[in-house]
Amino acid sequence: MEDEQIMRQVRDGEVNRLEVLFDRHHRALLHYFLHLTANRAESEDLVQEVFFRVLKYRRSYQTENTFRAWLFQIGRNAYLDHIGKRKNEVAWPAEAPEAASAEAAPDRLMEDKQETALLRQALAGLPPEKREVLVMSRFLELKYEEIAAALQCEVGTVKVRVYRALHELGDRFFALRGETLS
Amino acid sequence: MNCENIREQLPECLAGRLTDKAREILIEHLETCSGCRAELAHLGIVWRGLEALKLADEPAPAMKERFQATLAAFEAGLEQGRQAAAAARVTALRQAPPRWAWQLAAGLAVLAIGLIAGRALAPRPAETSPEIAHLQGQVESLHQLVALSLLQQQSPASRLQGVTFAYQMTQPDPKVVQALLYAAGHDSNVNVRLSAVDALEKYVTDPDVRRALPATLAMQDSPLAQVALIDLVVKSKDRDCAPALRRLVSRPEADDAVRQRAQWAIAELGVKGESQ
Repeated sequence: MEDEQIMRQVRDGEVNRLEVLFDRHHRALLHYFLHLTANRAESEDLVQEVFFRVLKYRRSYQTENTFRAWLFQIGRNAYLDHIGKRKNEVAWPAEAPEAASAEAAPDRLMEDKQETALLRQALAGLPPEKREVLVMSRFLELKYEEIAAALQCEVGTVKVRVYRALHELGDRFFALRGETLS
Repeated sequence: MNCENIREQLPECLAGRLTDKAREILIEHLETCSGCRAELAHLGIVWRGLEALKLADEPAPAMKERFQATLAAFEAGLEQGRQAAAAARVTALRQAPPRWAWQLAAGLAVLAIGLIAGRALAPRPAETSPEIAHLQGQVESLHQLVALSLLQQQSPASRLQGVTFAYQMTQPDPKVVQALLYAAGHDSNVNVRLSAVDALEKYVTDPDVRRALPATLAMQDSPLAQVALIDLVVKSKDRDCAPALRRLVSRPEADDAVRQRAQWAIAELGVKGESQ
């Protein structure tokens, strides 16, 4: 059964059905918060907070967006509340979290740990709003429509932001490697 | 399609999310544009490199247990709420109001019967006689008295009855309206506050009510009552309430649903200018 159908059941009173959605999405949500906070305990608390908010605001769920888009919109708000500010940007930890495993690097060019470290450094140096769209697009594999819903902007804006973020990341990465990219 | 449009599609291309048609157009462009080919190559290195930065952390099993505990508590709370609501309905139906309230109600009933009988039996005058107008005034006064007395009771159920009496009044009395406004803003019981807001809808054209709405909204801390008040503001069509709505929108601690409702209300009131 699709997420949206299950969420409609939750909205209509079958709140225990939320457990299915928790099983499906809490890992991605945990990773989102780990990328934002680099803190495991805080991230786990935030995941719980998000699902509690889903319960609390279940009646406001609208089916025009996917459940995932709505979930990450709530997640983003929960994080902004958590850090105690309501600016339309996400603060970033001074150091991006270490990837738990380097085995997932399929590209030959990036197998070198030093290069991975440079890329991590380049990513950590990106402005917060650019890092956020890259995390959503590259790591969480959210569709542009879902990112747009979560960030409450147009899909076209997301497209431009992701491209610019990736381009700037490339500039920074190649600069750190001692190369230049136009 | 120009280079800028093409380059904006490169991340989607690298993610394998382009449609067949879009991919065809992109490939066609790349065949003739060395600049975009170079850009794709560079972005490709970075895009694939990011794979190594993906997190592989698995959630701890305790997370699921914690969620299940929350869910169970939430369900129990819902069930309790349902039972309490059902019990309150039964109590409201069964519980006799205080004796003095019955006495007042009986008095009202006798007066009402007298009025109806008098009007039915007596020759119909061209206009309401002063006596009947006087009696009607007395009935209304009794209604007001009952409403005001009930609104000051300690029991929330009595105060709810008071709100109901106030709502049934044909002509708003300033004292009753003030009592309703006080209940809408200050009552310790959110149900009484909600009922008071509902009752105020009838008096929404009253200048006192319109003047008091922004302050009542500002002091409100219950999201449910806030939403009800916002709806009342929209019904009042009072644009003077827009600043209070804007303040609510910008209150970081306000409930998301409330802020959205306030945003909607600002639009409904047709107020130009900043609404963020």
